[in-house]
Amino acid sequence: MILVWMFFLFFLLGIVSLPNEAIAQKKKVILIGGTISETGRYASDVKPWPKLMNTWAEMINERGGLWVKSEKRRIPVKFILYDDKSDQATSIKFYERLVTVDKVDLLIGPYTSPLTFAATTVAEKYKIPMVCVEATASAIYKRGMKWIVGIDQAGPKWSDAYFELVRHEGKAKTIALLAEDQIIFTEVVPGAVENAKKIGLDVVFFEKAASGTSDFSPIITKMKEKNPDLCYVGGFIPFNIAFMKQAKELDFNSKEFHFTHFGISFKEALGKDAEYVTGSAYYMPGMKFGNYKFFFELLKRSGVSITEYPWANDRMWGFDAIQWGIETSESLKRDDLMQAFKDLHIMAVAGALHFDETGQGTNRPIVNQIIGGEYQFTWPARPGYPPAKHVYPRPKWSELK
Amino acid sequence: MGFLQIVTSGLLLGGVYALAAFGLSICWGVLNILNIAHGEFLMLGALAAYGVYALLGINPFFIVLAIIPIFLAFSFLFEKLLIRPIRGRTETEILVASILVTLGGALLIEDVTAFLWGKSFTGIPYSMISLQVGGVVIPLIRLLILAFILALTWVIHFYLKRSYTGKAIQAITQNREGARIVGINIIRISMITFIIGTSLAAIAGVFYVVLYSMTPYMGLSLTVKYMCIVVLGGLGSLFGSFAGGLILGITESIIGYYVGSDWSPTVAFFALVLILLLRPQGLFGRK
Repeated sequence: MILVWMFFLFFLLGIVSLPNEAIAQKKKVILIGGTISETGRYASDVKPWPKLMNTWAEMINERGGLWVKSEKRRIPVKFILYDDKSDQATSIKFYERLVTVDKVDLLIGPYTSPLTFAATTVAEKYKIPMVCVEATASAIYKRGMKWIVGIDQAGPKWSDAYFELVRHEGKAKTIALLAEDQIIFTEVVPGAVENAKKIGLDVVFFEKAASGTSDFSPIITKMKEKNPDLCYVGGFIPFNIAFMKQAKELDFNSKEFHFTHFGISFKEALGKDAEYVTGSAYYMPGMKFGNYKFFFELLKRSGVSITEYPWANDRMWGFDAIQWGIETSESLKRDDLMQAFKDLHIMAVAGALHFDETGQGTNRPIVNQIIGGEYQFTWPARPGYPPAKHVYPRPKWSELK
Repeated sequence: MGFLQIVTSGLLLGGVYALAAFGLSICWGVLNILNIAHGEFLMLGALAAYGVYALLGINPFFIVLAIIPIFLAFSFLFEKLLIRPIRGRTETEILVASILVTLGGALLIEDVTAFLWGKSFTGIPYSMISLQVGGVVIPLIRLLILAFILALTWVIHFYLKRSYTGKAIQAITQNREGARIVGINIIRISMITFIIGTSLAAIAGVFYVVLYSMTPYMGLSLTVKYMCIVVLGGLGSLFGSFAGGLILGITESIIGYYVGSDWSPTVAFFALVLILLLRPQGLFGRK
C-alpha cells in the first residue's frame, strides 16, 4: 500500500514540475476557414481556388508555417473549405460551422460581394476576424462591422483606372452605361457615371437592368439611338455575354465595349465577337510588386492561369494580408489578430495594401483588352506595370474579322 | 423607328418563348402533368448542343437533328420512371403528384449536371450578320430561328390534325374518359405526348444557348416563365402557346423600352394575374 501511495505522490510531483506549455496543448496548426463556390453560378470563375489555396498553405508550410510572436515559433497553416453553391444561405451555414464546429482561427471570405455581404454577418456574430477577398461593394463595409477587412477598393472607385485611360487618350466624348441589379454593380456603375462626368464625358444613357436579364433589345435600341462612343456594362458574365451577343445582332457599333467582368467564359462564349472588348482585372503577368515571385511560383505549382482566372491575384492579396496579419499580431487571439489586420501597411502582390476605417482595402482593378484572342494589359501605363496596349476605336461589326 | 425595332425584336424573342412553352402546354393540357422539370430539359438541350458544337463545330441548326434521338430516349426514361407510376389517380392527385415528382426530378437533374459538368455557364460562339430593312435591324439568326419554329409548329399542327396519334392526343385533351372508352391507349399516347413535349424543350435549349448563355441552374426560372405563357395562351393549345409567346416577347420589349428594363421581367407575372382574373382558360383555351 505504501508503494502505491509513493507512486501516486511521484506522479503528482511529476505533473507539477512539467512546464506550462507541455500541459497546455501546443498549437499544431493555424486553421483558416472559408467557402468556395465550387458549384452554382460563380463556379467557373473560381474553379481552381481550392487547389490555389491549398498550394499556398503547402508553400508556407515548407518553410515551417507562419511566425506567431506569442509562441516564438512558426506554426503550419491549413484551410478548411466548403462549397457554398454560390448561395448566400449556404455560405452562412458553412461559415457558422467553421466557427462553431471546426473552431478555425480566422476566416477568409467567399467569392463576390453578394456572398460576402451574407457571410460577414457570421464573423461579426462570433467576433472572429474575416479577411474578405473578391468583394468590392462598400455596402459590406459600411455597416459598422468590427471583425472584417476586405482587400478590394470601394465599389464606386472600381472604374478609376478605366477613366484615367479615357481621359489620357482624350478620344471619347460620350458614354452609355448599364448596371446589372446586383449589390456590386449598383455601386460600381454609378461610380463610373461620376468618373465619366468628372473627366467631361457626356453620359447619354444610364440604366439598371434586372439581375439575370437575357433580352437586351430594348436597352440596346435606346443606347443605339444615342450613338455613344463608349458602352460601359457592369454585370456578371452571363449578363455580359447576352448583352454582347445582342449588341452584334442589333448592329450596335459603340467604339468601345467595356465590361466589369470578362473572364475566360466570356471570351469562350463569344469567340471572335469578344475581340477588342476592354474590361477589368486585378493582375497581368509583368506587374512587379511585393512578393510577385512567390505568386508566380504559386500559380505555377497550382496550375492556375492568371489570364484565365484574373481574380487569382485578389486571392493572393488575401493570402498576403493573412500572412502579414498573423506574423505581426501579438498572438493568435482574435482581438490581437484583428488589430494587426487593421494596422497593416504592406506592399502586396499588385500594389500597396492598407485598410480604411471601414475595413476596406486598396486593391483596385487594372484595364485589359482582348486582342488576337488574348488578354492584353492596357492601363495604367506606369512603372511596375507591363507595356500597355490599347486598340481604339474597335472595328464595326461588319468589319470585324 | 424605335417602336418598329422593338416590336420586331419582341416578335423574334417571342418565337423562342413559344417553342418551349408549347412543350409544357401539351404535357399540362393533355396529360394533366405540370412538368416542373421542363426548363431542365431545355437546359440539357442547351448543354447537349454546346457539347456537340465543341466536339464537331457544326452549325447549331444541324445540332437540333443530332440531339433529338438523345432526348427521345431520355424523355422516354423520365416518363417511365417518374411519370407513369403516378397515373391511375384522380386528376387533382395526378397534378399535385406531378408537381412534386417533377420538382424532385428538376433538382436532381440540376445538381447532377452541375456536379458532372463543372463549369457554371457557357455559350456557343455562333453569330450571323443582321439585315437592315428600312432602318430596322433584323438579326438573321433570330429570323432563321423563328422560321424554323414556324415550320416546326406547322409540322406539329399537321401531325396533331392528321395522324392517329395526333387525333388521339386531341381526344384525350377534350375528354380523357371518353377517349379511353373509344379504345385509345392512354398510356401509350401519354408517353408519346410527354416525349414530344420535352423534346421541344430540348430543341428550344439549342436556340437558347446560341442566343444567350447557359447554366445548369437556369431551368426552374424558365419553367416559371413558360408556365405564364401557357396560362396566357391556354392549356394544350398550339396556337395559344405561339400567340402567348409572341405577346409576352413584344410586351416585354415595349415595357423595357418605354418604362425601363428593370420592369421587363415582371410583365409575365402581371400578364398571368390579369389573364387569371379576366379569362382563366387563357386567350385560346376552352372553358
